[in-house]
Amino acid sequence: MFTFDFMDKSSSGYTKIEKSDIFNNEFMVHAEALYNFAYKLTHDEDESKDLLQDTCLKAFRFINSFERGTNAKAWLFRILKNSFINDYRKKSKNPGMVDYQEVETFYNSEGSEGQTQLTPDLRSETVKGMLGDEITNALNSMDVDFRTIIILCDLEGFKYDEISKILDIPIGTVRSRLHRARSILKKQLAIYAASMGYK
Amino acid sequence: MGTFVRWIQKAMMSKKARCPEEEHWLELVRLMLDGQTTEEETSYVIDHVEGCYRCYDNYDLEKEIREAIKNKSINLKVSDALIARINNEIKA
Ligand SMILES: [Zn+2]
Repeated sequence: MFTFDFMDKSSSGYTKIEKSDIFNNEFMVHAEALYNFAYKLTHDEDESKDLLQDTCLKAFRFINSFERGTNAKAWLFRILKNSFINDYRKKSKNPGMVDYQEVETFYNSEGSEGQTQLTPDLRSETVKGMLGDEITNALNSMDVDFRTIIILCDLEGFKYDEISKILDIPIGTVRSRLHRARSILKKQLAIYAASMGYK
Repeated sequence: MGTFVRWIQKAMMSKKARCPEEEHWLELVRLMLDGQTTEEETSYVIDHVEGCYRCYDNYDLEKEIREAIKNKSINLKVSDALIARINNEIKA
């Protein structure tokens, strides 16, 4: 079930006041980031609300495994990601989602060599001129695992070691998955730009 | 690097210019932009990128895509009602 092995379990439990202080001042300040992460995973506002609520409830229930002053954001993102995989992914309305393990096997077997040659040309000026919806569509067209790692890195600014903990994967995998995700995204953007007649 | 120098380089070099180790440098550029390289590694990457048309283009594009993701993504607000719902559940 749930383990938070990357955070040391504090030896003594928090008092009621401490718990409420941690919850309000260290956890809830990340509610908006968590909600947006949830929305980017589910594409559904109701599911995102439930996912945020579940994350907060789990965080509160396991608050003694959180060490005060450590990286609450990464800790919470990890809970949300686990909830998404365990509870939401199975019943999700989105049919485009693929099993984590399958994806891992897929991109481990696919070398990144030759990717560049296959990618249509895309100019930075073109990307600059793209609308938010166009960027979002390109991101959403990607498999959820690739999308997730780009969101964690580029949007949320997590470092590789933090991403490694959030996603439960080695740093080497963070690095290779990100590299692959970026190449796929670039390709999606290029195809999109070409279809829209961007030059 | 000055805009003028870049312009001269772009003008002088063929658009089809290829870098024999483009994929390798692209990976390093991405690590650099992700803040995963040391100071020494960063200057090693910059040195190459500044002298290679193709890799400079890749660097430019990579930076732009990151900016676009960061600045053009929709940001939803959490409603007060949702916060209240969560707080009620916690108290229950
Ligand atoms: Zn080069």
